[in-house]
Amino acid sequence: MTSEEFARLSVFVHDARKPLNRISMQAELVKMALNGEVPPEKALAALDKIISSAKDCSHTLSVMTTELGENVSE
Amino acid sequence: MLTVLLVDDDAEFTEVACTIIEFLGHDVLTAATLAEARDWLEKETFDHVLLDFMLPDGSGAHLFNELDALPKRPRVTLITGHPSVKSVIKGLCGPTVDYLVKPIQREEIEAVLSKKTKPKAPAEEKIEKHFDLLIGESPVMKELYKLISRVSKTSANVMLLGESGVGKEVVAAAIHHASESEGPYIATNCGAFSKELIGSELFGHEKGAFTGAVGRKEGVFEQAEGGTLFLDEITEMPIDMQPNLLRVLENKVVIRVGGTKTIPVNCRVVSATNRTMEEIAQSKVLREDIYFRLAVFPITIPPLRDRKEDIPLLAKTFIAEFNKENGSNFKWEESQLDTLQAYDWPGNVRELRHFVHRAAIMSDPEKSEIELPKTIESPFAQKQSTTPALQAGRTIEDVEKELIYATLEKVNGNKTTAAEMLGISTKTLYNRLHAYGDLSKEE
Repeated sequence: MTSEEFARLSVFVHDARKPLNRISMQAELVKMALNGEVPPEKALAALDKIISSAKDCSHTLSVMTTELGENVSE
Repeated sequence: MLTVLLVDDDAEFTEVACTIIEFLGHDVLTAATLAEARDWLEKETFDHVLLDFMLPDGSGAHLFNELDALPKRPRVTLITGHPSVKSVIKGLCGPTVDYLVKPIQREEIEAVLSKKTKPKAPAEEKIEKHFDLLIGESPVMKELYKLISRVSKTSANVMLLGESGVGKEVVAAAIHHASESEGPYIATNCGAFSKELIGSELFGHEKGAFTGAVGRKEGVFEQAEGGTLFLDEITEMPIDMQPNLLRVLENKVVIRVGGTKTIPVNCRVVSATNRTMEEIAQSKVLREDIYFRLAVFPITIPPLRDRKEDIPLLAKTFIAEFNKENGSNFKWEESQLDTLQAYDWPGNVRELRHFVHRAAIMSDPEKSEIELPKTIESPFAQKQSTTPALQAGRTIEDVEKELIYATLEKVNGNKTTAAEMLGISTKTLYNRLHAYGDLSKEE
């Protein structure tokens, strides 16, 4: 792997980590809702955001495989 | 309550973080860029700044100089999405700055925010207290908890049997606690009163009942109305007082000494003795009819040597109690807990507790190490060494002597068997014992 490729990989990892961090935070919110510490509607909204973040993450990873895969075939 | 500034460019992250921080009882303001953060710092004073390391208009570290210039410098916690940045931050900012690595958990936020108000709260292990009182997770204790919770649902009288120091009074209190009765918990020791006074202690007396009875007095049966009466050392009660007790247990009424009126009583009686059931039966310290009234539900509390796995839990609890009372910060080392666990504790939990307190008193209060005495001594047991049996520096003669005595103890003093176990002739064993000066009077 060249240093240029590594830099691009790092960008993807950074982009993939962002939704993961969001998921983790939203999960904390769901936990609080289940404990009755915040209103239950918050949990529902948080779960929606978890799902969309998971999709984001998955998307980032697909883009990464495609892009880096292209490099291999070249 | 703290005022917190959260600087992070991820709006979704800040939203959730705010919810959590607000829930924790703090005020929180947010900024997405360094510029916004600078704005807030001019307008408000903050106790704590949670700062993302990478912001759109620069690094969070750029804010450090400005923060230093503030009249009241807030505590700073850096947030980073990149675990590898952690070590960089540590090198950059020194040990005074905390940092969090995303993904962040609620407990972590809680921990950094609470650090300021409580500078040192040593993370202590949570040891569960069953019924708010009893410590131990060994199978024998679990069995005991089961018995306590069963019997507490009924009104049956309980007799607690167990060696001295196993915690009979604590179990009695646990039964009272678990029964959720409305009345009080009253404890008295039947061994502590003279024959003349015990009647008055248990049943009360009327004014003028005897010389010195200047006023009316309620007995413990009356005091424990609707609750639990704990009669400790029940077997020490004079035998000729026992019929009076029997009458109270049978008829559920007391008559005060010197009185005529019957007073109804309603309480669970938990009694305790350090004698075994066989001893009670043989020694006639307790009338049979009383025994069956009191021991509707007998519970035997295991001695500490039968639940050695609980010793570390107990030792930690006792040292935590000591720390709390004395503001010290003692901590056990694993090897010390092993030493405690190896000992037999003939005085049971009471002995352990006193031993722990004594060790803590003897230790340097400025340090966290506990200095264990070299030996655990108890007048009720043979001296046991706290140092491992085989350690360089001891003479062969010493170790040999200890082994011989240990073997003899194991076989109840039978010298022939002991000699066989030791792999020496009986004659050699006798010679050794003579040499130790131990046989002069017997043989």
